[in-house]
Amino acid sequence: MKTVLTIIKKEFTRFFKDTRLWLTAIVLPGLLIFALYSAMGSIIQSVQEREQNYTPTAVVVNLPDSFAPVFSQMFELKEGDAEDGKQSVKEGELDIVMVFPRDFDALISSYSPASGQPAPNVEIYYNSSEEKSLTAFGSAQSILTAFEDAAANMFDINRPSEDVAYDFASAQDTSRMILSMIVPMVLLMLLFSGCMAVAPESIAGEKERGTIATLLVTPVKRGYVAVGKIAALSVIALLSGLSSCLGMVFSLPKLVGEASGLTISILTAGDYAALFGVVLSTVLVLVAIIAIISAYSKSVKEAGGLVVPVMLLTMLCGVFSMFVTSKNIGLFFIPLFNSALLISAIISGAVSWAYFLVTVCVNLAFAAILVFVLTKMFGSERIMFNR
Amino acid sequence: MEEILQVENLTKTFRLSRKQRKLEGGAAVKTAVDNLSFTAYKGEIFGLLGPNGAGKTTTLRILATLIKPDAGDAFIEGKSVVRDEYAVRSRIGFLTSELKLEDFFTPDYLFDFFCELYSVPTETAAKRKAEMFARFGIDKFAQVKVANLSTGMRQKVSLVISLVNDPDFIIFDEPTNGLDVLTAKTVTDFISELKARGKTIILSTHIFSLIEKLCDRVGVIIDGKLAALGTLEEIKSGKSLEDSFFGIYAAFKGGEEQ
Ligand SMILES: Nc1ncnc2c1ncn2[C@@H]1O[C@H](COP(=O)(O)OP(=O)(O)O)[C@@H](O)[C@H]1O
Ligand SMILES: [Mg+2]
Repeated sequence: MKTVLTIIKKEFTRFFKDTRLWLTAIVLPGLLIFALYSAMGSIIQSVQEREQNYTPTAVVVNLPDSFAPVFSQMFELKEGDAEDGKQSVKEGELDIVMVFPRDFDALISSYSPASGQPAPNVEIYYNSSEEKSLTAFGSAQSILTAFEDAAANMFDINRPSEDVAYDFASAQDTSRMILSMIVPMVLLMLLFSGCMAVAPESIAGEKERGTIATLLVTPVKRGYVAVGKIAALSVIALLSGLSSCLGMVFSLPKLVGEASGLTISILTAGDYAALFGVVLSTVLVLVAIIAIISAYSKSVKEAGGLVVPVMLLTMLCGVFSMFVTSKNIGLFFIPLFNSALLISAIISGAVSWAYFLVTVCVNLAFAAILVFVLTKMFGSERIMFNR
Repeated sequence: MEEILQVENLTKTFRLSRKQRKLEGGAAVKTAVDNLSFTAYKGEIFGLLGPNGAGKTTTLRILATLIKPDAGDAFIEGKSVVRDEYAVRSRIGFLTSELKLEDFFTPDYLFDFFCELYSVPTETAAKRKAEMFARFGIDKFAQVKVANLSTGMRQKVSLVISLVNDPDFIIFDEPTNGLDVLTAKTVTDFISELKARGKTIILSTHIFSLIEKLCDRVGVIIDGKLAALGTLEEIKSGKSLEDSFFGIYAAFKGGEEQ
């Protein structure tokens, strides 16, 4: 036991006394994510604001009286004929040109679809390579469509009303639902990269540099070396993951907009405790897997390559958890995938103790098996001393 | 004389990787150590002399319990290297240029770290550290990271670290390989000193002068087999060590062909 502590202590000393190492593995991920998400958030916001404040320009030929109030409010109407207007749209100086048939209002009131005659046609010229033009086209089209629908009004769906809320979800419920789809995947990837930041270096690196052999000639039990390394690396990976999570938690409201009601407080303390439990067991599994791959590899570089399929698999666990809605408890016996499912369940507020216990126990058991395998590998001359 | 090491019919065969097969002329396996037996006595320096690839390192790795023999066994102070590896490990010191120290740490930290792994009592460790660091001039560099030490100093630190447990049985694989002349002299002097303190030493080398200078008894190893065994004088049989080695080599190779 004392030996395990000695090894853990050495790993910690190695890591925390090396400023560059803990800066890059712990401080940087959180800062980067925070900076990245915040920047993305403010860019999205400023784009939205610019779009909201912008009034598209339009040339409308034969503007019917019925549309005059709407269009003059929605567009900045420019003088000009159709041909000049089209040229300006092409050059990006004007957003759209609309050409109504002469006497549009009279035409449509006398038109009957049963007559077999072609319906009156409104032409909208736009330039889809220009974002503003495309947006203006969209708004013009939706107004015209709404008008056409209203002209043949048979029934309404969800008529807007002050008194009726058709969607029972609160803004919070909606954001929990969205988060429960995104977070498992993002969290798994962050944890994975946290593990990748330390495990290959500490095992494949030591093997590559011949320092692990120095450890293995001492009377230290291989199992202690394995347990000590996994424990120390897990703590470090956890800190790295935690840093990323903090970065995410604090920048997410900025990313999705403060108005969405998305704050850290949508999860209860119990939720956070459960999350921590899953994350801890997941980190143990990830560190152990990466450690085994690292022990098998001859160099850090080789370990980096061999780890890619595992990374994809972890990512897939995150992706699949978005689509799996089944609460079949059998699924919670699959390591890593169960983590993704459980994280999703915790965030959407649908977690139960049984699922939590199964997930954590399965992950812990799986990690224990992996540590046993790693112990065997440390004892294997083919792996530790091959050429 | 008290027997302290008995090597009994050690055999070790490596399966070769595809790349290695080409170098070995297509063979899928390589018998690195072939039915090797010899004995070393307490307080002597035993030399394993042989050309590159003879199986010296493999033999010493088996003795240090880093790898397991396919057949045979060896006993150090009565403990089997196959069945009693932890007992063997805590009784021996093993020094080879393949065992490296972590660059990031200071000699001071590493000495304490390895003392803890060998369960050396704290007071003994402190005393031993002061003594050894002074003996090798490491004390001035005790707080310098290994990465920033000169090659010679690094090798001295390795030597000191591999002996933190003050073992009575010490294995040196090519002790002077890659050392500059001054460090090499420090090491050979130290080996004599260890002998004077009653330690038993087994070393491997392909350097005749080292054997002549240090060893009491010599095993000549060629192609994994023991080609000759005896005291230094017996092996030399009146000639220079170099001449008698090539005599043994020729006779061994000739004998193999028949
Ligand atoms: N891990 C290994 N895998 C394959 N072949 C090996 C391995 N270790 C040693 N050998 C082979 O065994 C033979 C003896 O090697 P070694 O014991 O290192 O010789 P020496 O130390 O006398 O130079 C060599 O041919 C070497 O290539
Ligand atoms: Mg060798």
